[in-house]
Amino acid sequence: MNMLASIPGAMDAVISGTTLAQASAPAPMAASQLAHYLFVSAALFAIGLIGFLTRRNLIIMFLCTELMFQAAGVALIAFSRFHLNMTGQTFVIFILTVAAAEAAMALALVVLLFRRRESLNAEEFSEMKG
Amino acid sequence: MGFMMTLSTILATLASPIAALAQSEPVHAAQQEAGHAAAKMEAIAAPGVGPLWLLLIPVLPLVGFVLSALCAAFKVKSKLPAWLTVLCLGASFAVTLAMYLQISSGQIANPSVATGFEWIRVSWGLGDAHSIVANFGLYIDSLTCLWMLFVTGLATLIGLYASEYMAGDVGAGYCRFFAAFNLFVFSMSCLVMGDNLLLLYLGWEGVGLCSYLLIGYFYKKPSAVEAGKKAFIVNRIGDLGLALGLMLTAVHFGSIEYSVIFAKAQPYLTALSEGRLGDIPAVVQLIPVLLMIGAFGKSAQLPLYVWLPDAMEGPTPVSALIHAATMVTAGVYLIARTYPLFLLSETALPIVAWTGALTALLAATIGMAQFDIKRIMAYSTVSQLGYMFAGLGVLTSGGAAFHVFTHAFFKAMLFLSCGAVMHGFAGQLDLRKLSGVGSMPGWRVVGIAMLVGCLNLAGFPVITSGYWSKDMILGEAFANPHMVAIGWILLLTAGLTAYYTFRVYFRVFVGPKYFEPGDEVHGHGGGDHGSHGADAHGADAHGHKAHDEHGHEGHGHDAHAHFHPHAPGWAINTVLAILAIAAFAVIGLRFVGGHEGWVSGLIEHSSANYAGHAMYAAAASHAGAGGDEHAHATFFGYDAHTAMMYVSGVVGFIGIAVAFVLHFVGRTTAAKSRADALLPLVGPLAKWAQGKWYVDELYNAIIRVPLLVLAHLFHLIDKAIVDGIVDLFGWVPKFTGSSLRPSQSGVLHGYALSMAGGLAVLVLIVVMVMK
Amino acid sequence: MMLAVLILIPLAAAVMVAVAPASRARSIAMVGMLGVAVMAGYLLFSFDWEHTAAQQFALDEESSRLVPSLGVSLSMSVDSISMMLVALTALLGPICVAASKTAITERLKTYYAWMLVLQSAMLGVFCARDMIFFYTCFEFTLIPMYIMISLWGSTNRKKAAAKFFLYTFTGSVIALAGIVYVAWSYADRHGMWTFDADTLMRWSRSLPAATQGWVLGALLLGFAVKVPLFPFHTWLPLAHTEAPTAGSVILAGVLLKLGTYGLVRFAMPFAPAAFVGHAPFIAAVCVVGILYGGLICWVQTDVKKLVAYSSVAHLGFCVLGLASCNVMGVTGSILYMINHGLSTGALFLLIGMVYERYHTRSMKELGGLAAKMPVWSTFMVFFAMASVGLPGLNGFVSEFMCLFGAFQASDQWGAGMWGTAAGQTPGATPGHLGAWVAAIAGTGMVVAAMYLLYMVGKVVWGPLVEPAGHSSHGADAHGHGSHEHGGLPRDLTGREIGVLVPLAALCIVLGVYPSPVIKALKDPVALTTDEVVNFGKARMAMPLVPPANVVPAGHQEGDPHGAGEPAPAHAVESKETAR
Repeated sequence: MNMLASIPGAMDAVISGTTLAQASAPAPMAASQLAHYLFVSAALFAIGLIGFLTRRNLIIMFLCTELMFQAAGVALIAFSRFHLNMTGQTFVIFILTVAAAEAAMALALVVLLFRRRESLNAEEFSEMKG
Repeated sequence: MGFMMTLSTILATLASPIAALAQSEPVHAAQQEAGHAAAKMEAIAAPGVGPLWLLLIPVLPLVGFVLSALCAAFKVKSKLPAWLTVLCLGASFAVTLAMYLQISSGQIANPSVATGFEWIRVSWGLGDAHSIVANFGLYIDSLTCLWMLFVTGLATLIGLYASEYMAGDVGAGYCRFFAAFNLFVFSMSCLVMGDNLLLLYLGWEGVGLCSYLLIGYFYKKPSAVEAGKKAFIVNRIGDLGLALGLMLTAVHFGSIEYSVIFAKAQPYLTALSEGRLGDIPAVVQLIPVLLMIGAFGKSAQLPLYVWLPDAMEGPTPVSALIHAATMVTAGVYLIARTYPLFLLSETALPIVAWTGALTALLAATIGMAQFDIKRIMAYSTVSQLGYMFAGLGVLTSGGAAFHVFTHAFFKAMLFLSCGAVMHGFAGQLDLRKLSGVGSMPGWRVVGIAMLVGCLNLAGFPVITSGYWSKDMILGEAFANPHMVAIGWILLLTAGLTAYYTFRVYFRVFVGPKYFEPGDEVHGHGGGDHGSHGADAHGADAHGHKAHDEHGHEGHGHDAHAHFHPHAPGWAINTVLAILAIAAFAVIGLRFVGGHEGWVSGLIEHSSANYAGHAMYAAAASHAGAGGDEHAHATFFGYDAHTAMMYVSGVVGFIGIAVAFVLHFVGRTTAAKSRADALLPLVGPLAKWAQGKWYVDELYNAIIRVPLLVLAHLFHLIDKAIVDGIVDLFGWVPKFTGSSLRPSQSGVLHGYALSMAGGLAVLVLIVVMVMK
Repeated sequence: MMLAVLILIPLAAAVMVAVAPASRARSIAMVGMLGVAVMAGYLLFSFDWEHTAAQQFALDEESSRLVPSLGVSLSMSVDSISMMLVALTALLGPICVAASKTAITERLKTYYAWMLVLQSAMLGVFCARDMIFFYTCFEFTLIPMYIMISLWGSTNRKKAAAKFFLYTFTGSVIALAGIVYVAWSYADRHGMWTFDADTLMRWSRSLPAATQGWVLGALLLGFAVKVPLFPFHTWLPLAHTEAPTAGSVILAGVLLKLGTYGLVRFAMPFAPAAFVGHAPFIAAVCVVGILYGGLICWVQTDVKKLVAYSSVAHLGFCVLGLASCNVMGVTGSILYMINHGLSTGALFLLIGMVYERYHTRSMKELGGLAAKMPVWSTFMVFFAMASVGLPGLNGFVSEFMCLFGAFQASDQWGAGMWGTAAGQTPGATPGHLGAWVAAIAGTGMVVAAMYLLYMVGKVVWGPLVEPAGHSSHGADAHGHGSHEHGGLPRDLTGREIGVLVPLAALCIVLGVYPSPVIKALKDPVALTTDEVVNFGKARMAMPLVPPANVVPAGHQEGDPHGAGEPAPAHAVESKETAR
């Protein structure tokens, strides 16, 4: 809802009782507005990246990848709104779905790895050394 | 199925020649006399169609082969294969005789072709002009008859001899021996009777195979195996020449069938007799040169003679039949058969003559210095073959063929006599360890046969056939103005031959009685199964002192304290007696059936005929070879032929006399003779001659060793370079991979960092470049 | 349809082997192989020997279509050249199964299943008339052979198998590139893809000479590795020494023939101008291979390696025959493929039999076996002689024809060489080889005698030598020797003799009466050589026949130059529809 609220015109459509589809074309977003979103996205991504590079705990690292994921999602939605193209939003929903499945898989794997080594330190796992 | 038809036709027509046997004789002589004059200049006739029963001549030995092989398969432990062999070969001889009678009576055209079945036929392009056909067919003329008569005849006799000689090996070895023996006669008849050069080639290599198998008969002896291998390989070198000659013939004449070749060569022969040598292309002159390489290999002539002396490792009947009487004359046959082609070349016949003469001399000098009597006989064979080649070279194909014929009898006899000695004295062949054998009890026949053989080989005047045949060649050499040098070489050789022949006779067969038994190489060395009980020789016959240093299995268990020579039995004696009589009987052939004898008469009715000396003189004058153009040169003013009758007789006599003085007079022991005293006079020559002039060593050094080095080098190159490059290709990705390997640390953060770095670089590029 | 059945029989048998219990594997494989042999026999019987150049037993177009958009089909048919090689393959199949009875004792199911698959692939190569189908079968032979070597081979088997696979695979990928290039250029021009062999052949021939040269280069390289020709041969000795006996037999008997078959069937007709132009080069490579391979044989100590190297020399003769580009040489070459398969296959069988008994192949440890194994020795001498090229046995006929083909193939004949004028050399054919090539190659005959007699002299003749542990004492061999040699008696068993006898019989038959085979090969060979020598001319004028089951035979009675009209299609078709 808060997302919708931030989009000019969308709120009006809700208030006036019409559906989004029926609403008149949303007004274009200013480039300066876009920059805010992108800044948030970049910050999220940087936090995720730095976290991934500096931490050794697999779960934390996994959470960091999720952060980077969401950063990309934010950027996608921002651009989608900016260009008034819904594909980006569709894609984000798709990403969310995949991320949910992936999270389940990854946590299962982490549990398995922990059973094997009694540790979640990423440096313990280097079997793929060439 | 062609074969079945052939067989049935053979059976159906088998009766006819037998009926013809009785009535044909008188016709033959008369016709030959009448036809003789005309035959001199006439072209080789187009062949008639020969009856298919002629195919029995090669087929019967083949049947013998199959039967002997079956005997081996069914593990026959009796003399059955020998009797089957004698039966088959005898029958083959009978058919040959019938063939001869029908040819000479004119019932079968001379020449004629009997085609069995199509062997190889390759055609290309349009029409029959472009095809090479090699049928399994026979070309029958009087040359074929001559050769087949003594091949099958001697093979039958020697088969009989071998039935006793090989008795020690009854069992698998006996079957193996007679199988190869039959196969040899089959191959030889293909060689002689084939109607095309490819079938000749089949026989040519076939006899080579049988020679290989029979030389290596005592296969446990490394020397026998080596000798067999050497014979095969040296012959193969000659075969290559023959094959190339055959191909050149095929390319130039478009055929390899004799009848076509002769027909197509006729214009060249005409050109030759008219002195137009320019009309004969070089390619035609090259054919005989290639063919003669094959002949030199098979007939043990100069560059390729080295295999024949070693071939004496084989059982003696084999030496007698294959390596003295028949197979080694195949080269002479080849040249005689393709004589029209040889006449067309300016160089071919002189090369043949010189090779023959030099081989004769070389072999004789080696023969003088050897001590192994079988080896002496081997060198004398090489020497006598040289005579035959010289005879062909000096344009007396009749003389050469007559010498082949007489030599076949007396040399087979000499070998069989030596074989009897070897058989009886436990493999002893050293003339220093045997003496006075001829006067021992039971050895009379052998002694007489040996004397007859030696007289023939030495060319004892008038009463020996060897004298008459040798004389024809010598006379012709001196009669030809360009071949006088060859005549002198041959005359010298004749003297040496007489000497070394009687050196053997005087030392081994007469004089004080003495013997040392040999180490029994011939019977037991090849004891087939390594089974101790297979020693069928009988302990008393072959008991010998236990100096059994080789320790062959299967012998050495019958050692007795006393050795008794084992006198030959009836089979050996009968064969020797027949051969001795035959050796004299063939003298008669010199005086019947044609002005130069029966053999010459046969030759004149075959492809080996040549149209008189005029043709050769024309060729010689064209080559610019010489000054005085007499068709007949003279021997110091006398007619060469007449003079030679006396001169060669005297030379032979001198040789015998020298041998008598040096090796008989005053000899009291077997080991020493007066000749030993003369050895210092010739310096190292005797030693060198005894070392066979070190030709084997020379060949080894200049051919075998370099080839071996090359082979090892190639093997090394193959491993290091040829395969090395391949491995290099495999090594490149391997190296690349291993050098990139450390980058895969397996540490998650390493990968993450490099990803982040990569991302940073990308962003940087985007920001910097695409702003 | 019949060819499809022929190829499917071993595949079906392979599936059955995989399903059935291991104890049944061998008998099912045997039945499958015999089925192939019977089928091949039936094909031989129903083959139209009057029109040997016609492609017979073709699969109809509808059912053979595979990937229409790319023009890939399963088209199959045989002429007499293919028929001979199909027959050889079908003959060796049961022999290999029979020869494996005691040699292979573990993983039977895998072994026999792969062997059957291999059989199927080899038959596919000889039947295929679609380049992709051909190539697929050609490459697919690698996998079973790779598995056979790497699972049942001797000590160094992994390396040998990998080298065999990678080397020949690399070579044939290059050949594929050549094929695809021709197909691409056809599609580029005609707007539709096809891999039909005849269409592409005709198209390829119309390409510019330089392009043809590249096409030939690609095909030649691919097939030369498979043959193998001289510098590309090093995988062969290794693969042979490591492979199990049956593997060696198949390798020497059939797999090497895929290369020569590819040369005669595709390389020559695809780039005839280039082939004729490069014939002297090819011949030179062959001659080097003959002498080089032969001399290397001479210094081997491993019997199997010796025979393997002898294949290099022998196939040099075979390809030399092809290089002569005339009927004599090419017919000889095809005969050589068959004869080499028989005699060398038999030699490998014989060596395998000794190996099973003594577990060694070193000539230092074996000698004089004639005393212990007379039957084996007889066969050994026999097949060695067949391999040496003794007249009267098969090897001679083909060797002579290859040599003579090279000898006569020279434009110099009748053009002044050695005084010959035009018309004076009826036995000559156009070409660029000639007498010297034949003479030098002919020395290979002497070398062959040297190395084979060296081997026979060492192993068969001479004093008895047995490896340590195999006492030469008589009682041991007869008494309790049996469990030492895997239940085998000292000399050959009836099964082993039965394996060798058909080969020996064929050696004799093909040596004494090769005439029918030569006659049967004449038309397709004349067609090929004619195409090669007069590559343009008559052919170019012909309209392109669409890829179909029936392809031009073009060579009929009274038209020996095979200038070629479309085939008597109805005849072949009716033959097919009749069943």
